[in-house]
Amino acid sequence: MKSKSIGEFEELVLLAVCILEGEGYGISVKREVEKHSGRSILLGAVHITLYRLQDKGLLQSEMGGNTEKRGDRRKRLFKVTESGMRQLHAAQDVRQKMWQLIPQLKPSL
Amino acid sequence: MPEGKKSTPPLLANWLASKFINESLLEEFLGDLKELYDERLVKRGRFYAKWMFWVDALYLLIGFTSFHFFRANNNPTILYKHYLIVAARNIYRNKFFSLINIAGLAVGMSACLMIYQYIHFELSYDKFHSNVDNIYRLTQSSIRNSEVNATDVFTSHALGVRAKESIPEINRFVRIHYHEDGGAVIANPDNDEPFEEDQILFVDSTFLDVFDFPLKMGNRTSVLSGKHHMVITEQAATKYFGTADPIGKTLEVRGNWVDGDFKVVGVLKAIPINSHLQFDFLLSMASLLDNYQYRNSTGWGWSNFVTYISVAKDADLNVLGEKFDQVITTYNGENLARTDTEIRTGFQTLSDIHLRSNFDRDPAIIGSIQDVYTFSIIGVFILIIAWINYINLSTARSINRAREVGIRKSIGAFKKELIVQFLIESLFINLICACLSIAIVFLTLPILNNLVSTELELVVLETIQFWIWFSILILCGSVLAGIYPAFVLSSFNPLGVIDSFKKNQRGNFNLRKGLIVFQFLASAILISGTYLVYDQVTFMKNQELGINTEHILVVTGPRVGFNNENIESKLQAFKNSVISHHSISGVTGSGMVPSKGFNWQAEIYKMGDLENEYEIGKINWVDLDFTETYNLQFLTGRPFKPNDRLDVLIDEESVRSFGLGTPENALNQKLIVGGDTVAVVGVLKNFHWNSVKDQQMPFLFASDDKCSAYFSIKLDLSNIQESISHIENSYNEVFGGNPFNYFFLDDEFNQQYQSDLQFGNLFSIFTFLSIIIAFIGLFALVSVSAASRIKEISIRKVLGARVTDLMVMLSKEYLKLLLIAVILAIPAVLYLGKAWLENYTYRTTIGFDVLIIPAFALMLISILTVSHRTYSAAKSSPINTLRTQ
Repeated sequence: MKSKSIGEFEELVLLAVCILEGEGYGISVKREVEKHSGRSILLGAVHITLYRLQDKGLLQSEMGGNTEKRGDRRKRLFKVTESGMRQLHAAQDVRQKMWQLIPQLKPSL
Repeated sequence: MPEGKKSTPPLLANWLASKFINESLLEEFLGDLKELYDERLVKRGRFYAKWMFWVDALYLLIGFTSFHFFRANNNPTILYKHYLIVAARNIYRNKFFSLINIAGLAVGMSACLMIYQYIHFELSYDKFHSNVDNIYRLTQSSIRNSEVNATDVFTSHALGVRAKESIPEINRFVRIHYHEDGGAVIANPDNDEPFEEDQILFVDSTFLDVFDFPLKMGNRTSVLSGKHHMVITEQAATKYFGTADPIGKTLEVRGNWVDGDFKVVGVLKAIPINSHLQFDFLLSMASLLDNYQYRNSTGWGWSNFVTYISVAKDADLNVLGEKFDQVITTYNGENLARTDTEIRTGFQTLSDIHLRSNFDRDPAIIGSIQDVYTFSIIGVFILIIAWINYINLSTARSINRAREVGIRKSIGAFKKELIVQFLIESLFINLICACLSIAIVFLTLPILNNLVSTELELVVLETIQFWIWFSILILCGSVLAGIYPAFVLSSFNPLGVIDSFKKNQRGNFNLRKGLIVFQFLASAILISGTYLVYDQVTFMKNQELGINTEHILVVTGPRVGFNNENIESKLQAFKNSVISHHSISGVTGSGMVPSKGFNWQAEIYKMGDLENEYEIGKINWVDLDFTETYNLQFLTGRPFKPNDRLDVLIDEESVRSFGLGTPENALNQKLIVGGDTVAVVGVLKNFHWNSVKDQQMPFLFASDDKCSAYFSIKLDLSNIQESISHIENSYNEVFGGNPFNYFFLDDEFNQQYQSDLQFGNLFSIFTFLSIIIAFIGLFALVSVSAASRIKEISIRKVLGARVTDLMVMLSKEYLKLLLIAVILAIPAVLYLGKAWLENYTYRTTIGFDVLIIPAFALMLISILTVSHRTYSAAKSSPINTLRTQ
């Protein structure tokens, strides 16, 4: 039953992880999304989404990163998987196709 | 306040998260949370950071637990989910009743939470000292003819020293000398602005070893050891030095027992408000003991030191007591034998001082354990009232759920499962109320503080005990409130309820009746209690004092700028200048003013009697105009005349205590007061120098026309501003360099009833809440019964019943219950009220009004509550109601 398609927020998170190139973890992803979308997001929402994407196989993760100023705790760094990338491309394609179908935007001539 | 907690994120949230979140994920969450917390701390401050930490943590918790919860599709999860959905739908569908249920319970829980916080605060006094269990305050009981004469907390200054020398169990001792007669004028010589200060303690250098007041600056072990050293609080430091570093600076202390320049050697952090010792300045004991009166004393003559000892953990107090007796006999036995007195030493643990002290002239900040008990009981009552609402409403409305139960049963639900379902519903509602109540208390605590002048903060949320209690309470409450409705609902016979749901409707009415009577009873008792408390306070305030405290402005006397030679002329100049104003009819100087205490407490006996037949009496010094300004009534004799050096005025109580016969006989007799011989020149009618709560004691005025601790000025109040500025001008002219402070005596006198009034205010607030809850419940019940009898009402109406008849019919059963409750309340109020009034020497009588007024109030409120519902029910058009049936 599980559909492979992703929601809007999931897409934003996935894109943020791509931008961060292996440096993506809870807070950096949160910041990235906030920066680009201009809305403020709860940390928990980011975490939950990251895990959901990992469960769907779109992300993979490992523990690492520096431990100072986090009270000696490691962070989990996320990376996009093959299928994650494919999923993003697919989403992008769908949009692209639909954009082109909007009449006003067709080059007039 | 524990230190170091300031900049760390809430530990409780961490702990909570660790219980619910998968361990493998925990590390990264907490790391992220901490990182964000630090960032926010810098950007937006502590409160915001803490608040957002909670929001984030809770969001994670809820998100993750439900995330896993909803993914797990096994049978029990689905079932519980279903129960929650049904509960939520029920709440949603019956908005009116859900609102009443939840509002009542939430208000009840809030009241309870406030009371818990209040009690937590009262019990927290002095617990911040790490050695709290091994620190004792010494008490002294003087015993004559094997009868305890008096017990107080004042010891001589040698007792501690000698005890420490000869009793090995004592690790440390510290003596505190309270500055009893007002304070001192303190100034920073660099900017020379003097302030009047009265929070001054003389303490031994061991003070900071025994007590854990944290130092902000200075060396803990060495402060206060030298003469003329002082430690001040950070507030005092800011007041005198601003932002400059106070260590090593000097403050001038004037008009104190010990005048001179004191060097600041330490600055303490703010004294916690839950400390029985409150002060701004600690002056070294060495400076005080250098004083003439102590240098030339054996060390046993002056009892004006409070001694604390810290003892070894396993010390036996009985043995310790005997050892103290031994010490006292060794050093002071001879003296005591002369007056046939024995002194027994008692030990009061540090944590008992605030709530369990009952000593004459206790200088500590004293509360009352009785208040703590009273409010605990009120808290429990309020909660019970709120739960009763839940029970009553659920059972009364059980018919609405009957069909659901019937269908569940017919498709195979067991009774047990239904009970679980309704218990879960009850838990659900209780949980909602619990969350709401925390929010309510968070928002309303500042208002409460304002109303009853307390300084409560919601700190219990940071204690683990609170959460344990809170969970237990909610669980028990859910079960207690839910079990009966659960049984009633689950016992419906499926056939009966699906077929026609009329049966069982009033089946459990008896229990409901009982519960309502209980609610009314509790409300009636609480209202009577409130009424009685205020009645008693008013009674005490209106008590004829025998001394005039009205229209008297008291100005604190000068402390610097005069000496023995010029004092008399200065006083005269001031008095003449003040009285020259038309609004002022009298000026008098005295060592004390009413409500402020006494100058001297001494052993007094009639000349010719044996020394060991003394009685304790209180003495104040006053000048010639005192008796007239204060309207004291002479039974016989005359006011003081100039040069009355060794003469006293006494009251009737003294005549009786010292065995002087009649007032006329007493005149011109000689008394031995603390060793001096004085003559009685007048006898006054008894009067209340302090609050009427105090025992009547023998009371003497001694003549001293140089006394200037306080000036009492009698004025008419036609133009207060002008009178005061006139007095201030005179004061500054004659006593320049002293701060001008004044107060109105009647306000100050009534301050003595402040604690009673505060008790009354708290009491009335909780009474008010409990009444609201009870009547919310009544309102809902009447609504239910009006709705379920709407057909009957309509038919009666068609047959010709009037609206008023119908209203009476609907309200009758509830008013009957109210009447029963009010009658039951009478003996309870009489008994409890009598017990409470025992605390007071002068007490009001429990009159008819105490019983009747609350009953009428209750009656009135319930009629108002009920009539709205019954009126709209009786008013409704029969056509509308009958047509739909």
